[in-house]
Amino acid sequence: MSNPGSATRPSRLMPLAVAGAAALAVAGGTLFYYAAKTAKGPEKGAVYTVTVNAKGCEPNTLTVPAGRTTFEIVNASDRTLEWEILDGVMVVEERENIAPGFRSSLTAKLNPGTFEIACGLLSNPRGTLTVTPSASSEAEKTKPPLKAFIGPLSEYRVYIGLQSSALVKDTQKLADAIKAGDLNGARLAYVAARLPYKRIESVSSRIADLENRIDPVAAYFEKREDDPGFAGFHRIEYGLYSLNSTDGLAPFADALVADVTALKARLKEMKLVPEDLATSAARQARRLAEDTVPNGDNRYGFTDLADFTANLDGMEKSVSLLYPLIEVAKPDVAKAVKDGFADTRAALVMSGNASYQTVDTATRKKLSAAFTTLAERIETINTAIGME
Amino acid sequence: MTIKHLFGATALSFFLTTSAFAESATLDLVEPIAEYKIYVSEKLEKLVEDTTAFTAAVKAGDVAKAKALFAPTRLSYEAIEPIAELFSDLDVAIDSRADDYEKAEADPEFPGFHRIEYGLWEKNSTAELGPVADKLLADVTELSKRINDLTFPPEKVVGGAAVLMEEVAATKISGEEDRYSHTDLWDFRGNFDGAYKIVELVRPLIEKKEGAFLKTVDANFAKVDTILAKYKEGDGYVTYEKLTEDDRKVLSTAVNTLAEDLSTLRGKLGLD
Amino acid sequence: MSRDRLADASASVDENRRQVLKGLGLAAFGCPFAGAAAQAATAPARHMTDAPVANVASAEDRVPFFGKHQAGITTPRPANGMIAAFDVIAETPDDLEALLKLITNRIAFLTEGGTLPELDPRLPPADSGIVGPVVKPDALTITVSLGSSLFDGREWLKPLKPRHLSRMKKFPNDALDAALCHGDITIQICANTQDTTIHALRDIIKNTSRHLTLKWKQEGNVPVILPPLGGVAESARNYLGFRDGTANPDSGDEAVMERVVWVGAGRGEPEWAVGGAYQAVRIIRNFVERWDRTPLKEQERIFGRTKMGGAPLDKPEAGEFATPDYAADPEGKLTPLDSHIRLANDRTPAAAENTILRRPFNYSNGVTKSGQLDQGLLFICYQGDLEKGFITVQRRLDGEPLEEYIKPIGGGYFYTLPGVRDASDYLGSTLIAAVRKAP
Repeated sequence: MSNPGSATRPSRLMPLAVAGAAALAVAGGTLFYYAAKTAKGPEKGAVYTVTVNAKGCEPNTLTVPAGRTTFEIVNASDRTLEWEILDGVMVVEERENIAPGFRSSLTAKLNPGTFEIACGLLSNPRGTLTVTPSASSEAEKTKPPLKAFIGPLSEYRVYIGLQSSALVKDTQKLADAIKAGDLNGARLAYVAARLPYKRIESVSSRIADLENRIDPVAAYFEKREDDPGFAGFHRIEYGLYSLNSTDGLAPFADALVADVTALKARLKEMKLVPEDLATSAARQARRLAEDTVPNGDNRYGFTDLADFTANLDGMEKSVSLLYPLIEVAKPDVAKAVKDGFADTRAALVMSGNASYQTVDTATRKKLSAAFTTLAERIETINTAIGME
Repeated sequence: MTIKHLFGATALSFFLTTSAFAESATLDLVEPIAEYKIYVSEKLEKLVEDTTAFTAAVKAGDVAKAKALFAPTRLSYEAIEPIAELFSDLDVAIDSRADDYEKAEADPEFPGFHRIEYGLWEKNSTAELGPVADKLLADVTELSKRINDLTFPPEKVVGGAAVLMEEVAATKISGEEDRYSHTDLWDFRGNFDGAYKIVELVRPLIEKKEGAFLKTVDANFAKVDTILAKYKEGDGYVTYEKLTEDDRKVLSTAVNTLAEDLSTLRGKLGLD
Repeated sequence: MSRDRLADASASVDENRRQVLKGLGLAAFGCPFAGAAAQAATAPARHMTDAPVANVASAEDRVPFFGKHQAGITTPRPANGMIAAFDVIAETPDDLEALLKLITNRIAFLTEGGTLPELDPRLPPADSGIVGPVVKPDALTITVSLGSSLFDGREWLKPLKPRHLSRMKKFPNDALDAALCHGDITIQICANTQDTTIHALRDIIKNTSRHLTLKWKQEGNVPVILPPLGGVAESARNYLGFRDGTANPDSGDEAVMERVVWVGAGRGEPEWAVGGAYQAVRIIRNFVERWDRTPLKEQERIFGRTKMGGAPLDKPEAGEFATPDYAADPEGKLTPLDSHIRLANDRTPAAAENTILRRPFNYSNGVTKSGQLDQGLLFICYQGDLEKGFITVQRRLDGEPLEEYIKPIGGGYFYTLPGVRDASDYLGSTLIAAVRKAP
């Protein structure tokens, strides 16, 4: 679970934990332990500083013991960057939207193994992170049985399967409209095809290679829109909305169809663990709060509000599967999470279907705050049900 | 079994179980359970489609067509019975028998498939069946919606294989289920297919350790297949009355052995 | 043996009795039925739902017939019991009086025992003869109750119907068979041996043929166990292998029985009914083959008790008579909220309002059309308020997980007549007097 606690963000864990502790004093020892643990605030573990400059990470090789570890990422480049820990092509943890000259911290609970770290521009060489076994990672092996999560994970798998099938179908429609030269039809198909993608983004974004082909924004390429590597949804969006034409988009559409088809197959192979149901949703909420909501992803079509609603639907699907367990373990956490979804949805509904261009900074801040609150609440789930 | 219980049981198994089945073994069930839900969803789609045609025939007063559609329509329901039965109100509304009512067939409460079956075969008429047909379609549609919204409890899915055999053993082998139409062999087909699907889905998980067990189970399914094949007619089966006493005994033995064997499936997969 | 005493409002305590039994060991079991009045001063009667103990029942056991209440309700269950339901042919109060007097006489004789009259051998014999020339009491009790239909079908009886007496309605899991339901009158017959119960039934049928036609009957039994080690009596098991009756109220405590079982003045019942009780009967088929193929843990979760020991799940080592502490387990982590015993009695003071006295027997009939065993529970219970008692408890159980394994197929609601005070009285005398007094 990622760390909510940069100093500027007031933590909501505190009041929640206090209320929880009061309720649990009657309920007995085991749960009180969790409340007490939460009341102290999440543990940060050892802190490592990584500086990212225009060419890569410094240091480029790190060795840390398993367990909670905090990374301080210093952006010494002149571009806004994201920093990721990758297991093969899977994103384990990430911090996005670190402005030039700023630092951001990320706390991750790492299992033993070898990971890569992404360092700024996609073209930069990746660093290596080695996680060695520790006492806590050995103890972790005796965590509670997973049987209770089989049902929720299966249901989520069905959901991902249905949405990724819809994604392939809808992307094909987009490609068809582009090839038919139907600009208006292609724009509608663009918005439609992004919905299933956004519903599963909290997991599909972990498949880094495909994510970088399907949904990168121009800002992550050296030459931005003119970069030959710029492809995927936003390249098509750029054509449809900025250049007002379907011309030249067919190869991008075909590649996108191939990529989402590959994504569907990769998602079918993906094995989720119980923690993922909450952590991927929380990670998605943070990504929205910190990057997508303030800046917008669809910089040419400004169709972001539809994306956000689809994101929220997908997050709510995975988290709601845990409700029966959370309600038994910690009803107050269940209520806070449900309220968080309701509040975020209400904030989205207030913005309606407007072009995101017309959504002012104040409104974006409110939306962003709603997603931050939601992320913080979702981050309490795994602790509440004894997963951490 | 109600939904209320399911969630209770899910939460409970999470807190109570201490026996440590390997993590990977347990999470390996995610895929079969997800696949099973997709199987059930497809059957439900077919059930709604078929029930729409069946009830339309009933409402149009077309006795011959309604009779022809009765057994094929039920096939999808019978295959997913362990999940359908989780919603006891709908199971009663869709598939209860005259025995469940004090005044049997004459009971005004007697609903669903078997009420229509009674009208079609015993009275050779669709009289009074219009409202029953409307209700059946509404109930089947509602069932489809509820199941699609349901998180499948793994122990119910795995246990479902045995449940299907228990149903046949306890109340179907006698021919009581479709007592007016004698289309029981169709129902059996659905029940066996549904049970076999579950075995197929979990097979990779137990294959290594339970080879002998799977061999016995497969042999019994094969025995059932052989007998059913003898009674095939067109896309379906002949009337249950044609089943010979000897074949009925073999079927009965196979079903009971399958029920015994499949009842251990949950335990083998670490689901008590 | 720790058995928590519930709040005073509750009627579920049998602690002293158990303790005494433990202390006395087997001595307490000697002839449990005979001379109840004399023995009560020194050794208590046994708990009503304790399993009968092997080798202590005797053909000479005699349960007194006369008393304020009928026998066979708070009387410890012997090994055999049955319910027979009849329809009554009685057009006038005189007809009904004649029937009730006749039954009274038969019961008085059968429960007391005696030598049968010898008739001219050219005539049919006076008796079936299946127990020989001398009828032994054999702990026989015969308990007579009236059904709603008896009152409903007769204008002169209608106004006198007990307020909660009604025709049993279908509960959601029921598959009631009309041939096993209701009746104008039920006769519960219990005795040490099956021969005695069957003999009594045949005697009554033979002698009352003018007034009664048999509608249905169900026999049952209670497993007899070996004398318990250490003297702690155990509750008998049902055909699902679980103990039944553990949480029954103390049938030996008269104050508790007044509160739970007997209709007294002040319950708003007709005056004639004082001293009687409501009887609920259910024939509940058990799907035993399927049950035997159900994982043990699931069986235990369904009941809320351990199977072998019978202890509540939150105190699995504490023994059968430990009281579960549901307040400490509000989410049902130890004892699922929908387990049978927790739904039936959640151990709150409010639930004490719904206490019933259960007196069930197991039955084993034969084979179903599908070639499975036809076994189950002949459930019988008694209470002073049918609505607050059985009906409320059953409504709470509606939808319980156990329903997958059981199917109620018959039974009904009846009103058990007050007792016969002495040889000059007869069963239902207060009812007949009330009919005659009516305008």
